[in-house]
Amino acid sequence: MTTTGIVLIEEHAQRVKPPRMLAVPFFFGNALGEADNPEYQHRVLQATFDLLDRDQGPVLEQLPDDMVPDILMQGSETANESQEKGLNAADELTSLRAYYEQWVNAHAGRTAVGASTIPQRRFRGVVRFLEGYISGEESDMKERPQDSTVPQFVRHCVNDLKAFYYEARMAQRPDGADRDIHDWFWSKTAMGALVMALAQRMRDDEDAETKAVAYGIAR
Amino acid sequence: MPKLAVLSEIQRKSMQMFPCIEHDDTPWSPMAKPLSESKLALVTTAGLHLRTDEPFISDHRNGDTSFRVIPRSAGAADIIQSHTSLAFDHTGIYRDINVTFPIDRLPELVHQKKIGSLSDNYYSFMGALTDVTGIIEESGPEVARRLKEEGVEVVLLTPT
Repeated sequence: MTTTGIVLIEEHAQRVKPPRMLAVPFFFGNALGEADNPEYQHRVLQATFDLLDRDQGPVLEQLPDDMVPDILMQGSETANESQEKGLNAADELTSLRAYYEQWVNAHAGRTAVGASTIPQRRFRGVVRFLEGYISGEESDMKERPQDSTVPQFVRHCVNDLKAFYYEARMAQRPDGADRDIHDWFWSKTAMGALVMALAQRMRDDEDAETKAVAYGIAR
Repeated sequence: MPKLAVLSEIQRKSMQMFPCIEHDDTPWSPMAKPLSESKLALVTTAGLHLRTDEPFISDHRNGDTSFRVIPRSAGAADIIQSHTSLAFDHTGIYRDINVTFPIDRLPELVHQKKIGSLSDNYYSFMGALTDVTGIIEESGPEVARRLKEEGVEVVLLTPT
């Protein structure tokens, strides 16, 4: 079989030396450049398939494009102002529910929510579970799948809460840039503050699995 | 990604210190026939899977080196992501799964006769693994066996 592909970190491909790779200047999560832009995605795919014509390898070429993407901030690089404003995550979440449902309805049922298997109407309970977990209580949910450890379940809950918020925001601000949504979540929302506190609580844990999950949740 | 030199220090160090495997040489399989006559499969490291599948896990020892099968017939609403890292921006994938897993773009290329045909099944792994031994020794060969069994001639690899 012949392979060709896209790589986001050119320096890693230089070390691994796969047969054919197109290095693209996009951030994680955007391998084909831009969501909802089929024409641009086709350009990236064509450049990737063009590598199949090369006679020898390794082939590592750059996408012929002058597009310079924004540099996204990490959660830890923002100052969250929700506490000063007295916001709490459970009420905030409820206030966004109509927007989230609007997003799902407008996208034929498509949603990134689902990893935890908890229905979104039960997410206030998820928030209570996570708040208890942060404060060091023996916190758990009866819905946690038996084959999922508490740290893994926490990760899936965060996955779902972030997806819920981002999709609600995209329904609320259809023309909002990705960067603005990212900025809003980490600097304005009580949920962003809760996730950062959760990551810190897990980083401070002595259990290696819990620490590993913390790195993925926020940094 | 942009060149590492323009990233923030925390991002740059994270990328530079990532323990990716290093090879001295490259396996090489030339094209047997034009892409327009070949059967193509899509393989991703985006941590995607069917909504009904087990999510990928954050295994602090070896990482999750298992794979998931995503039938070509699956639609965007059937697929979710349980990537180990929630820290990067997922907004693009929330908006349009094609930005990392081009399930709608590939049939368009078949329709345009730029790709011969598509496999019935696509495959998904977890990315950002610090130890890929399990993929090299087990799950990778198993996926390769399945692809060959299905007559796949070209594989498109996408990250997230």
